[in-house]
Amino acid sequence: MLTATPASREHAFEARVAEVKAPKSDMNALILDYLMFEGYSETAANFSKEANLQPARRDPTIRARQAITISIYLGNIETAITDLNEIDPQILDEDPALHFYLLRLQLVELIRKCNGGDITPALEFATTKLAPRAAMNSEWLKELEKTMALLIFPHNSLAPELAALLNPDLRLKTSRQVQEALMMRRTKRREAAIRELIKMRAWAEETARANKLDLPDRIELLQDHDFAKFYEGLITIPTIR
Amino acid sequence: MANPFQQPHGSSSFMGGGDSASPSGLPPTQRRTSYASVLSGATSLSRPPRAGTFSHLLNPSPDSEPHSSLYTAAQSRFLDATASAQQARNAASGMAAADDYMPSSLWGPPRPGARLPLFSRAFDPYLNRDPMLLNYDSEDGLGGSSLVPGSGPAPATFLSPSYLRDSVFLGKLREAHNAKILADREGHLLLHHHHHHHHNGAKTQSGPGGAGGVSSGSGGGSAHHLHGGSKLPSGSHRGVAYELVEKTLAAEEDDALSPLPSRWSRDDKDGGLEVMNDGYEVKYVGRPASDHEACAIRADHYMPPQCGVYYYEVTILSGGKREDTAIGVGFASKSVALQRAPGWEPESWGYHGDDGHCFAAQNVGKSYGPKFGPKDTIGCLINFRLGHALFTKNGDELGIAFRDVSFKDAKGKLYPTVGMKKQGDHVYVNFGQLPFQYDIDGYMKKQQKMISENIKNADTSKLAPSLSESELIQQLVLQFLQHDGYVETARAFAEEIHAEKKALSLNPDDLIPGINIKDDEDANNRQRIRRAVLEGDIDQALKFTKTFYPNVLDENEQVYFRLRCRKFIEMIRKEAEYNLLLEKRGLAAAATKYFKREEDDEEMFDVSGGGGGGNVGHNWDADNAMDTDDAFDGGAAAEVSQLSQEALAYGMELRSEFSTDPRREVSKHLDEIFALIAYPNPLKVKEVAHLLDRSGRAAVAEELNSAILMSLGKSSRAALENLYAQTCVLLEDLRQDGGDGAFVTVQHIIDEIPKPSLL
Repeated sequence: MLTATPASREHAFEARVAEVKAPKSDMNALILDYLMFEGYSETAANFSKEANLQPARRDPTIRARQAITISIYLGNIETAITDLNEIDPQILDEDPALHFYLLRLQLVELIRKCNGGDITPALEFATTKLAPRAAMNSEWLKELEKTMALLIFPHNSLAPELAALLNPDLRLKTSRQVQEALMMRRTKRREAAIRELIKMRAWAEETARANKLDLPDRIELLQDHDFAKFYEGLITIPTIR
Repeated sequence: MANPFQQPHGSSSFMGGGDSASPSGLPPTQRRTSYASVLSGATSLSRPPRAGTFSHLLNPSPDSEPHSSLYTAAQSRFLDATASAQQARNAASGMAAADDYMPSSLWGPPRPGARLPLFSRAFDPYLNRDPMLLNYDSEDGLGGSSLVPGSGPAPATFLSPSYLRDSVFLGKLREAHNAKILADREGHLLLHHHHHHHHNGAKTQSGPGGAGGVSSGSGGGSAHHLHGGSKLPSGSHRGVAYELVEKTLAAEEDDALSPLPSRWSRDDKDGGLEVMNDGYEVKYVGRPASDHEACAIRADHYMPPQCGVYYYEVTILSGGKREDTAIGVGFASKSVALQRAPGWEPESWGYHGDDGHCFAAQNVGKSYGPKFGPKDTIGCLINFRLGHALFTKNGDELGIAFRDVSFKDAKGKLYPTVGMKKQGDHVYVNFGQLPFQYDIDGYMKKQQKMISENIKNADTSKLAPSLSESELIQQLVLQFLQHDGYVETARAFAEEIHAEKKALSLNPDDLIPGINIKDDEDANNRQRIRRAVLEGDIDQALKFTKTFYPNVLDENEQVYFRLRCRKFIEMIRKEAEYNLLLEKRGLAAAATKYFKREEDDEEMFDVSGGGGGGNVGHNWDADNAMDTDDAFDGGAAAEVSQLSQEALAYGMELRSEFSTDPRREVSKHLDEIFALIAYPNPLKVKEVAHLLDRSGRAAVAEELNSAILMSLGKSSRAALENLYAQTCVLLEDLRQDGGDGAFVTVQHIIDEIPKPSLL
């Protein structure tokens, strides 16, 4: 029944989807929640205004959280740690793993800076700040060793595993760790509802296919001409890699 | 009269031939000629020594500690104990004078989410006589203050077992139930020439058991009952709900939406059994049964696999010793002979109290759990997803009894069933109308958690292979913002994403291409129209729409009609708001006078406050406050009357414009909103205030926006909306056979978002 004819577009599934109401109030709530949760302060403010919405409560930390994200993206880990301590003085004490991974990123940034030059600051940082913590946990110790290897090998010929440490993805990842930990402590939720929704969507399709339910070959998020626009042109966000 | 005990058994072929052990699993014991005498003997038992300790629980002193949760095991045990007591008493006193002591409905299903009914001193007489409470200790320290005094009989109850309360399935049943009530009431109201029938969707929808993925939020709902037909609860997904209503009204047992078991069936039982107490109890009244006989009864409905898990409990009310009872609890299909105990026949499964064995569709059981008898409560749980069943005894889980994938096979509709062998055997069933002894809610949560774990680890990369999860979300959000014409927001978002990308870039000289938010004239226009509607300025919205999209209103008469109606509503709203403000100001003025007389507020009539207002003086007696300032009232009255006149005039215009419209929903909606005129201040009338709610503006705005998008040949839905709807449908498919989809809903995700504080 794998027909790729245009007729297959008119799968019963799509007809049923069209029948389901996707309430705007839910959409707006999802969007605002996401913007607040992930610290898009300007967008959130605009959206509240344009869509006539009120956030559940003003979140005084939204700007500070956004600043932390940007600091981490920029590699200014020290600034990020200072700001983090300001909005949540206990977080690093109570979440040693988070603290370790932040310091590890800081070490990576120090190593990046001294590429080819004086490695003393990086070495000193590693011995005074990281080594004592890493000793507490074998996994951290391995991470530290891996990171220290960056000092030995030239950066242009690194093994993939090591090269990954210098990729901005590590900043992204660490930043998410920070935001998730912060939000978990503030709201008891780890991620924005929209993330759960797309995971549920992916999971539901996968499970339905595994159960051999009758589905179209591919379930598009957008149909027809809008589809192409959605993925390519209108919004170009460079992928990092 | 047919006596089942004299009939030859058609099912005897299922008997193992010549087993030395009793093949029935219910070994013969000496028969009593009159079991009833034993039972009635119970009443003359001496007063239980501990009964006295209950009286303080049942008669809480005002200072007793409030109990934190209504659903602690202790409390449910207590309830069940009390329930059992009631049953026993009914049995003992021949069901007679029970109502003298308590409302009979006390033992009917409680309202969903309702608190527990009053336990009063009226219970003492029977408690003191009742031996069954001996089973339960008072150490629980139940504070009675959580029991709401005076919560009387709950009319038109809807069965809402705690563990299903958040499920989509129950949500649908509730929708159908509400629709039916609505339909009934409507008929009633028509007879009585009433006006303010209304759709309560927007309000009920946010209840604890939201109808799940297919239900809409408060906004969309009211917009849609117009399309959906009169019987639709608003806030429901049209297609499904409509279908549900039709079907449930038409046919009792329906494939798509079968009601939950709620009572013992009065017809589907062996003649030796008698159904009592509103269908919750069944008692063996026939002649003694032979070894291979039993009397069985099925519930009124089968256990719908869409629940994922189904659970019910049976409490043995028989008096006397365990040896004097022989009861089997389980489930069976409709075809199973009622002269056989659950588990003896194909398509039948059961756990038997006389030997503790469980029987899976055959005469020979296997050792399973403890024996059970009087005062025990046995729970029966079917997990359709995992294809197994287990039992509980007095709240403790006994382990898996049966594994059989055919449980979820829709054809094998399985009914809760009990079988009895001895005279006086007597049970009470809890189909969820009372809290359960076993922590089924906890069991359900565990099931849900397993699935949530899977979801949490889902790989989203297939949704948009070229994007990371975070990028996909950014795209979804951005596309939604553009699609819906939130121009400024989209631009702000693009900038913030761009700033992030720039920060992440390792080389500061790298050129990060910006996000091109086209200055889309359409988006701007749609934005202006939306803003006008959201501000309640319908005239402006109509003007803009006619200017920018001249054909849209002609081609979408429905939308035009809604806009016109909304304008009328806005006029009423304005008047009502003004009235409220006057009242508040009046009160404030009185308060001000009282405190400091020098205050002379000239801006008293400033309406621009938009209904914000303070709570000034809300503790004051309104009557006193209102007649303090005659001049004030006089001026205001003129204003109000002017607004009122305008609304009336517009209303008449509207009515005449649509007077020839044959559609019932049109005239019905007009009736509905015209009724608003009848109230001095509709904002204060709970039954109609929702019609004035601001959320109605959003609904109209979205409808108009969709119409414009369609006229431009654009998809009426953003990608995020598609994703949402697709998820709902996929889950729907996944719950048909009681699989994974029965345990999760899209609504759960939405419900986790903190609710905005209301205006």
